[in-house]
Amino acid sequence: MIWARNRIISLVIGFLGLVLFDKFILGLSASYDYVKIVVMMCGVFVTLAVSLNLINGITGQFSIGHAAFFQVGAYTCALLSSSVFQSFSQKQPVLWLLFAALFGAIGAAIAGFIIGLPSLRLKGDYLAVVTLGFGEIISIIVRNQKALGEAYGKPVDKIHSVFMVWGLAVLAIAVCRNLLKTAHGLSFLAVREDEVASSAMGVNVTKIKVTAFVIGSAFAGAAGALMAHTKAFVTPQDFSMDVSFIILTMVVLGGTGSITGSVIAAIIFYIIPEKMRDLPPSIPMHVPVAALFGIIAAVIGMRAVQQKIHDEKLKAAGLYVLSMIGGTIVAFMLNLLLKAVPPLQATIIGSNLRMPVLAITLVVLMLLRPQGIFGHHEFSLDWVKGLFKRKSVATSGGIAQ
Amino acid sequence: MSLLTLNEATIKFGGLVAVNSVSFSLETGDLFGLIGPNGAGKTTCFNIITGVYAPTSGKIHFDGKDITGTPSNKIAKLGICRTFQNIRLFSSMNAIENVVVGGFLRHESTLGSALGYLPSAIKETNKLRSQAMELLDLVNLADVAESRSRDLPYGKQRRLEIARALATQPKLLLLDEPAAGMNPQEKMELLEMVRKIRDELSITVLVIEHDMKFVMNLCERILVLDHGEEIAQGPPSEIRNDPKVIAAYLGEAV
Repeated sequence: MIWARNRIISLVIGFLGLVLFDKFILGLSASYDYVKIVVMMCGVFVTLAVSLNLINGITGQFSIGHAAFFQVGAYTCALLSSSVFQSFSQKQPVLWLLFAALFGAIGAAIAGFIIGLPSLRLKGDYLAVVTLGFGEIISIIVRNQKALGEAYGKPVDKIHSVFMVWGLAVLAIAVCRNLLKTAHGLSFLAVREDEVASSAMGVNVTKIKVTAFVIGSAFAGAAGALMAHTKAFVTPQDFSMDVSFIILTMVVLGGTGSITGSVIAAIIFYIIPEKMRDLPPSIPMHVPVAALFGIIAAVIGMRAVQQKIHDEKLKAAGLYVLSMIGGTIVAFMLNLLLKAVPPLQATIIGSNLRMPVLAITLVVLMLLRPQGIFGHHEFSLDWVKGLFKRKSVATSGGIAQ
Repeated sequence: MSLLTLNEATIKFGGLVAVNSVSFSLETGDLFGLIGPNGAGKTTCFNIITGVYAPTSGKIHFDGKDITGTPSNKIAKLGICRTFQNIRLFSSMNAIENVVVGGFLRHESTLGSALGYLPSAIKETNKLRSQAMELLDLVNLADVAESRSRDLPYGKQRRLEIARALATQPKLLLLDEPAAGMNPQEKMELLEMVRKIRDELSITVLVIEHDMKFVMNLCERILVLDHGEEIAQGPPSEIRNDPKVIAAYLGEAV
């Protein structure tokens, strides 16, 4: 049984990796708790992005209310751990996490089923508006319920487990990957490609759309439950519309439909804003302004390069680096010049730059690579090889014709 | 007993009567042609049969069952499959994956086994893939099995659509303008292929086509529609000389 052996090997490697990570790398860090929370939140966002990718990328249903399912899961868990299961969650915290994830998943799956139903009749923009509205409804209900802590939020027991969070992320990845490896997954993709044709081929489009919503929201709910225990507090701000958009952004930037793309984009776009908190408290205005012009110069340079060469990937990569150096030089020169401009000598708080930097990163990425980091592809060694090989394949095809 | 019977099928879109009280029946093993000028209601007829639209009035029976208003995916399961006039392949998927989706409705593994990547799901997927490969062989597309379907030339896309429809293991195959955009050589091959599908796979075929030479050569019986109404029905030799048909296509002598 090759499939069983391979799976056991990868499970063992994954498990050992997590143990090493937990015991050594995290232990080495001075701010142990902070790093641990960042690592766990990364796992939460990976789960969220991968599960939204199942709905948006693989099944092609445009949902922008993913934070709502996340919220349903978190609040389900917060409610249960402070009432019915209070003693259980205090005596057996790690075991409780497992149950919390399960309850969060069930709660969110029910919500997913309900929101999946209108998607049978609605497509594209219209469905997006409905999911957005659903997200707001959940958020407003929570803000106005005394039992749910209203706008203030609700404390939850602090239970930290890198294992559980990343275990969930791995499970979400495995489920999506398994799906895509089988004929079932192809029918999900077929719904994305053409509903009329899939239906004419006997695919039950309705069932597939609802299934995608239920599975996707169940994972988001489980992630919510684990996040509640990670942060030890749930508040409506953690599940605002922005969160939905950030998750959506991760999926789009990773490349819609690409699981590895969602994973990598989720990690990058959680870490960047998080790391930016460390920026110095006062930065003179001319630095970011000069940097902005540098970025514009680099983007213009890269766009020009992209249009000049299509196939010669290696050469293109070299020129990417060159234009980035060019952008840096432009930024540096401008910095010297702009220093002399009095209004730009005022200072701003470094951590306020977090969101602008994220926004600029998005714009740049979309200009340079509109199909997302990986496009429809998965990251693999073959894909990397393909990047360099494409040119030779194209020429041989040309000769054959 | 007839395989497919349309009994006074009518469909109206607001004030427009697209198909008006059309009746015909297909016997098992028929090669039946549906022709008529543009806008005659041929494709709408297909859409009624395959459940894209429910007829405003009239009944459709297939294989002894009333299928009026049944959803498309259930009709496909009962054994009617179609191709589309404006090719509707799953464009970013491989040729073979397109055909696998066609075969999906006859698969036997559960979603749970697919999510867990259990042997039953792998076995079913492999079975579907090998069936798909055989079908691609049948339509001479085995060499492009791994190419993305949108990258295929037009004629091959048409044949891929037929292979995808055949993967559903239909009793009745509806071909909507299969020869459109093909050169004479490709049309000849298509003609042979459709005959082979009928003779070797014993699938009844209903075809819409504008190329008269193609239809007259291929079909044993032909129904002519004009403005949603039947104007003639019979073997090609009769249709060719029917004054009403000539009038519909060429206009009447002044």
